[in-house]
Amino acid sequence: MSSLYIWPQMPFLSITVLIIASMVFLYLARTPMHQALESLNDGIAGGLERTAEWIKSVVIKMQEKNKKVLLESNIAASEQKIAQEFKRVEVSYTKHLAEYPALHLKIDESISAIDADFQECGQVVPEAPGWNDAVESIANIKGTASGDRVIEKMLKELHKSAVDGEKMALSEMQKASTKRHKILSSLAPIWKKVQKIMSEVNTRVELVLETSGKIEKYMAEYEKVRKGGDDSIDMLSSKATKLFVFSIIVITVAGFGAFVNFQLIALPMSELVPAGTRVLGMQVSDISALVIVTLEIVLGIFLMEALMVTNIFPQIASLTLGKRRILLYAAILGLFFLASVEAALAVLRENIAETNAVTTQALAGKADTSVSIEGSQVTVIGQATLGFVLPWILAMVAVPLEVLIESSQHVLNRLLILIVILIGYIVGIAGHLLSTIMKTIIHIYDAYIIIPTQIENLVKRKS
Amino acid sequence: MIIKKLFSTALNITTRCTATRCTTTLAATLILLSSCSDNKEYETAICALADISGTYAKEKKSMVKIIQAGIVPSLVPGDSLILMTIDSNSFNEENIKGKLKLDYRPSQANKQKINFAKQLDEFADKKVSAKYTDISGAMMLCSSHLKSTQAGTQLMFIFSDMKEELKPGIKRSFNKDEFENIDIVAMNVIKLNEDSANPQVFRSRIKKWKKRALKHSAKSWDSTLDPTEITNYIDTKR
Repeated sequence: MSSLYIWPQMPFLSITVLIIASMVFLYLARTPMHQALESLNDGIAGGLERTAEWIKSVVIKMQEKNKKVLLESNIAASEQKIAQEFKRVEVSYTKHLAEYPALHLKIDESISAIDADFQECGQVVPEAPGWNDAVESIANIKGTASGDRVIEKMLKELHKSAVDGEKMALSEMQKASTKRHKILSSLAPIWKKVQKIMSEVNTRVELVLETSGKIEKYMAEYEKVRKGGDDSIDMLSSKATKLFVFSIIVITVAGFGAFVNFQLIALPMSELVPAGTRVLGMQVSDISALVIVTLEIVLGIFLMEALMVTNIFPQIASLTLGKRRILLYAAILGLFFLASVEAALAVLRENIAETNAVTTQALAGKADTSVSIEGSQVTVIGQATLGFVLPWILAMVAVPLEVLIESSQHVLNRLLILIVILIGYIVGIAGHLLSTIMKTIIHIYDAYIIIPTQIENLVKRKS
Repeated sequence: MIIKKLFSTALNITTRCTATRCTTTLAATLILLSSCSDNKEYETAICALADISGTYAKEKKSMVKIIQAGIVPSLVPGDSLILMTIDSNSFNEENIKGKLKLDYRPSQANKQKINFAKQLDEFADKKVSAKYTDISGAMMLCSSHLKSTQAGTQLMFIFSDMKEELKPGIKRSFNKDEFENIDIVAMNVIKLNEDSANPQVFRSRIKKWKKRALKHSAKSWDSTLDPTEITNYIDTKR
């Protein structure tokens, strides 16, 4: 500072002169300085403001693109679902309604049987002879009441014949009723059969209707997505985010499962594969174990693809049923082979661990080197089971993996948009802050040259 | 004919392969090949120096026990162990009493460990003793063997009272980088009568060795390691 003094022995005077000189200089240079500061403000703050605007426009474009991608992917997914359901309807119609004519024939037969039986039941039993009218006529003959013995006898005989005839008719009636009851009771199983066939028909028709109902639901969904309203966009976005989070959780758990699987087979693999070389710092035996675990996941993907649970490879989906079946059997066979290998490796692992323990104890000179055989067998069975089951569990990863890949596109885009928005805000705030600072500097500048400015104002007023 | 066919196929592939794709494939192959390495930098080489001179000769059995129970079990497939004796003239290949290089197959490695333990038992049973104590010579021989292994971790265990008595006419001087990348541990250092009389003698002797080892580029020096802590020590140094 002292180097700036004009008169080093008089600092106060030097500072005063310097201030006055700078004040005069800044007063004289006021206009170009103001212009320079304003240009600087326009350059920096304006530039930042434009950048913020550009970022905003980029965000809008990104949002539009994201919406479009989301809609397109969901439209494609809906179309695929509907196509799949149509295939299912075809299968359902073929499977469930193919037997419908046979069922119908059965119903017809049963109904004919019922009809025939019913007709048979409908036959009227002949009435008893008309003795009553004859008796009535004889009874009305004159002299009946006087006790004519011939008429009395005749009437008695007639009475007897009438009673016998009635008895016979009643007996015939009873016989006919019994027969009809028998026929009616034989109708019950046929009714039951008809009822059963009808319920079977009902079930089959319901199954077909259920599939058709699903198509209806998917169609409604498809139409809603196709319209592309804000509601459907929000719904799809939230659905994608939810699926992303859940699939991340499932994949993480599966990752731990894969780690356990790897640990289970890494040690015994060193017994089978020479571990003298390393690739990227990993032993070849470890890489081999990793390859087995990865192969299980790959086979799982093919299994799920062949089952049409996932649709990662469109080529597999377009295969014929026969070819897909071959792929399915190949994947199951491969998984079974790998699971068996893992189970064997798990047994080997336990064997090695046991030998290690025995060797260490022998080297330590401990007399009692016996290992609990029972406990060891339980461990072996446990490890072998784990080795066999884990590959099948890992094979299921294909489903969340597909969901993760599908949903991550939207979620990552949204994340990117959020980051870009944040950058836009930061740039906007920085621009505003710089603009304020530049304005403040101009005000401070004016305040610094307030004395010459006021003098100038006084002079102007006087003149 | 076959060569001609192969050549034409190769030419066909080269023509089809775009420059970018070929470069990428080539780069990936080269990276993979260059990333392949042997296990040496991940291996551990241990050298155990057994003092069989003077009063320390009596400690042979306990020394062998420590090696059997502490050092050998902590070796993993690929590791190596060499046993050398400290006698009147230790810088001699005849002082190497046993070598062990573990196979990468765990089952074989276990067998090798058991066999080496038997070898150690035989060594413990032999009655040999030396008049002079050439610790420096043994350390130099050990160092050259450890370096020849190119192992990533190199450890030197010295079982001795650390009192050197060189035979007249024998000269020992270390190179500046004699113990480079080597961790040295003075194990089971027993106290001599003069040490008991004046602990400072013992302390200054150990201090002198530490200073000497570190001066000649030793990675570390330890003289207070408990035999039960050997496994932990080796694991931390790996």
